[in-house]
Amino acid sequence: MYRLFTITCIYLLILSCQSEEDLGYEPTPVDFSIPSNFPSMEYDLNNNPLTEQGIALGKKLFFDGRLSSNNAIACAFCHEQEFAFTHHGHTLSHGVNGNIGFRNTPPLQNLAFQKEFGWDGAASHLDLQPIIPITNPIEMDETLENVIEKLKADSDYPHLFKQSFEDGEINTANMLQALSQFMLTMVSSNSIYDQVKRGEGPVFNPLESQGEQVFNQKCASCHAGALFTDQSYRNNGLSINSRLDDKGRFLVLERQEDLYKFKVPSLRNVEVTAPYMHDGRFSTLKAVLDFYDTGMVDTGTIDSSLVRPDNSLGIDLTEQEKESLIAFLKTLTDPTFLNDDQFSEY
Amino acid sequence: MKLNHIFSTIALTLILTSCSTDDDSTGDQLEGQQGDITIKFDNAVGSNDFLFNNTYSLSNGDTFQVQTLKYIISNIVLLDENGNESTIPAIDNIFIVDESQANNAGEFNITLNDIDAGNYTQIKFGIGVDQDRYTLGAAGQGNFLQQADDAGMMWSWATGYKFIRLDGTYTDSNAADQALNIHMGSVGTSLDNYREITLDLPNTSRVRENSIAEIHVIADIMKIFEGSTTVSFADGYNQVHTNEVETPIIAQNFSESFSVHHVHNN
Repeated sequence: MYRLFTITCIYLLILSCQSEEDLGYEPTPVDFSIPSNFPSMEYDLNNNPLTEQGIALGKKLFFDGRLSSNNAIACAFCHEQEFAFTHHGHTLSHGVNGNIGFRNTPPLQNLAFQKEFGWDGAASHLDLQPIIPITNPIEMDETLENVIEKLKADSDYPHLFKQSFEDGEINTANMLQALSQFMLTMVSSNSIYDQVKRGEGPVFNPLESQGEQVFNQKCASCHAGALFTDQSYRNNGLSINSRLDDKGRFLVLERQEDLYKFKVPSLRNVEVTAPYMHDGRFSTLKAVLDFYDTGMVDTGTIDSSLVRPDNSLGIDLTEQEKESLIAFLKTLTDPTFLNDDQFSEY
Repeated sequence: MKLNHIFSTIALTLILTSCSTDDDSTGDQLEGQQGDITIKFDNAVGSNDFLFNNTYSLSNGDTFQVQTLKYIISNIVLLDENGNESTIPAIDNIFIVDESQANNAGEFNITLNDIDAGNYTQIKFGIGVDQDRYTLGAAGQGNFLQQADDAGMMWSWATGYKFIRLDGTYTDSNAADQALNIHMGSVGTSLDNYREITLDLPNTSRVRENSIAEIHVIADIMKIFEGSTTVSFADGYNQVHTNEVETPIIAQNFSESFSVHHVHNN
């Protein structure tokens, strides 16, 4: 009897081992639900339907340093979840061999709703965006061919790709689609602000309410809608950082009118995404608001909404208004998103 | 009697030969038949073959030499006498013509397999990557992403393809041996520099199951600088990357470079 039990156990073990290895393409579809207070999606899921297997593969790739030339710099190196996937504490992002990048790491959130990616919008499709950091010499400095070779030589990736894609191939297209699947699931929509707007119970305190009013009056023309950005490119009057001389959107189309313009960033989770601006020059929200009040300089293409009636530059903000704005901005922090296990490495 | 026999044989052969020729020109017998066709891309400068490191002169006296010359050709379609298009799966219908990979005659061959047999009178193709393919994301690119990355036909700072990559040096009245880099492409969805051209074939290209059809395409590289718009290095056309004024001019000029020299039916 005991022997029979042992045999059965061994048999079951073998069976379970086998079933894991033999598992082919039997994808488990995942629904993407758009939060009720959000705009419609930009990403076309018909070309890349979400599946549990694809998302899990994308997550593994996101945390894998082998996407870089020295096998050490994963996407997650500069995109840390608890800081809304920014490179906490770094004004500029870091790359392989101690290289210092050119810009501050932007947060990864609500990417399904974005038209273009990066501070200058150089990437216009989410699938193709990762090519920039992977191949950029000062970021991950790797070729797509090498990445694919490394993945093929791995013991796990071959069956993970088989489970995730019908053709089962380890190739660039499938790798990028898996990364997109994982990144698309990064939706931040559960802040106090969202709960207030959806009438789920919480309400703003008086300071937050005042901050919302100031925000709607003085900030919302650019930081518009549920995404807190109109996704436009604007010059907000930052002085030119002479070490970088970053010309912003100009680099994409070399249009004079695009000089020193950068994408209006979302303000979701802004409490945890310091330092701020494309070069990370401001370390606190107070410093940002002080800049908008009194720090702007004219670099030629300044946004007309930032010119006062007397032709001086800036947005008038009293100290009390700044305090209320900061309180309001903190209601955009989404602890669910920042702590969600589905995005963490372990 | 013997003579009569020979005569009969000759007559029969002639009839058979003429029959088969007739059959070729009627569409009916071609149904279901497929064949291969090779498109030869042959770079030239004016009426001469293109050569690396040779010095070429523009009409304003500026000179240039080229060390790298590659471009993307996609969406190749053959059109028959009735305007019917051959069907080639889109995902595979994209190529990098690379002068450094050309044969000793300077020809870069693209072979298309399993083309519907037919009598083709025109060839249509795109220069670069069209927006439909680009906006499909990774799904639309197949292995071409990797191929383009290996060939240095992608920008690392912007996710787009370089449709042409011409690297070399130029000399004008101001300076000698300055860097010349023409890297023209679309810029995401903001700027579309894909161009499609249709060329008449000088004689009909007959695609059949058991023959090798060839179309010999010439690309006159000089047209890049002296096409419908004449440009000069001093005006910024020594470095062309994503500029929204310069790149459409280069795209248009380059699209005028192509002509079909001849067609072979073997």
